[in-house]
Amino acid sequence: MIGLVLSVVEGQPADPWGFEEVAVETWADILGPQYLDLALLAAFLVLAWVSFTRKSVPLKLVTFALAIGYMGFAKSYLISITNIFSVLDWNWPVPQYNLAWYLFFGFTVVSTILWGRLYCGRICAYGALTQTLDVVLPARWRVEVPRPIEKRASLIKFGVLAVVLGYYVLTHNLLIYQYVEPFWMFGLFGTTAMWVGLGALLTATLFVRNLYCRFLCPVGATLGLMSYLTVFRIKRWSECNTCKMCQKTCQWGAIEGPKILVTECVRCDDCERLYADTQKCPHWRIIEYQSRKIQVLPLQPIR
Amino acid sequence: MKRFGVLILMLSTAGLVTLAAQSRRIFTNPRPEPHFKALFPNAAGFSALGGTPLHYKVYGEDPKANPGAPPIGFIFWTTDLVPNERAYHGPIHFLVGMDMRGIIQGVVVDYNSEPYGYFSVDPPQFVAQFKNKSIRDPFRVGGDIQAVSRASITINGAARALRDASRTMAKTFLSPDQVQ
Repeated sequence: MIGLVLSVVEGQPADPWGFEEVAVETWADILGPQYLDLALLAAFLVLAWVSFTRKSVPLKLVTFALAIGYMGFAKSYLISITNIFSVLDWNWPVPQYNLAWYLFFGFTVVSTILWGRLYCGRICAYGALTQTLDVVLPARWRVEVPRPIEKRASLIKFGVLAVVLGYYVLTHNLLIYQYVEPFWMFGLFGTTAMWVGLGALLTATLFVRNLYCRFLCPVGATLGLMSYLTVFRIKRWSECNTCKMCQKTCQWGAIEGPKILVTECVRCDDCERLYADTQKCPHWRIIEYQSRKIQVLPLQPIR
Repeated sequence: MKRFGVLILMLSTAGLVTLAAQSRRIFTNPRPEPHFKALFPNAAGFSALGGTPLHYKVYGEDPKANPGAPPIGFIFWTTDLVPNERAYHGPIHFLVGMDMRGIIQGVVVDYNSEPYGYFSVDPPQFVAQFKNKSIRDPFRVGGDIQAVSRASITINGAARALRDASRTMAKTFLSPDQVQ
């Protein structure tokens, strides 16, 4: 009774319902159920970024394992064509209840603009899966796609993107995603037809490395187009005009003579590790050779 | 300079596609009446959509025969009650039936565009857990509402929409002592 009188005096009747959501939400209420998710995701993203800046192979393999296990099977945090539909419709999850998802989406956009398809190269669970297959499977199984075919095939993903976007704009049927991307596999729910298609795709991937990512993925195509904006690009030496070493090493078909094709490059570090290798990269070999000449020749008369 | 050109081209293409996508907005089903009998099997009649917030009144006696009869419950769209609530891809269109004691009589998923809807809100087990639920229940995912791993944004958005819409209806049309 006293409480009622007090609240009337204050001009605000006490809420007789007592629902918990009536109280104004504080940041502690909002973060409480999310902080574990946020922390684990942030830790994973930091690991992926460190493995990228260090150009470290072991760290990259750890990133792959976590991408498949945590980002894929545990959380299904994958950028999907449905996220591109969301951008078109401007349909987003409620920000304050989905901070981890926004961190993930924001990291993908920002990292793509800063470095290129970093997402494809180490965050995407499916990409991590096929790249791990590539490490595990014997090299003699590989079928190298001839360059002219590879170049044309890499355009298919842009066609897939255009067709799917067109279909979505006309029908607003979002479930088309099930037939153009295999990311639902991490949710472990699919119809028989979907699993059969996935089986065929994975079987082909055993022989053609990263088949889906290179040739078919509409999300990769979108990030590839965004990569034209890349701020920090891979350095090239003048020797790259003639040397084909990196071009032959690149498993993504992203190097053409002196040029790096930003739409194809996923920042896997294979070529950058070669550039840094003073024993292999002609750039360093030439510098070493010339410095030896300079040192050795003038010194001879003194000896 | 070339990069600037690419940016302009990409932005204008995205703008055009976005405009095209906007032209086909999804609206709430204007004829939900076929669902009403499932929510209130014993009802004799229903009012038209009206009131603030928008709802249908449910009558135990035919309102034409007895215009003074009080309603036995309400049917409402979550999209009318909490229009800003969203799941993974926009609002889920739930039709909710609630009686005068604040007990949910049933929930119908009329439309959703959730990519993972087919294993989260589409299976009948999802709506079944809201039948006979009091609006005083916590509606906590992982507690009284079953969590679905890998579809948590969908399930959380759905639970918030159902909880907040039903409680808003109760606060407007019921009194606290009616609700157990």
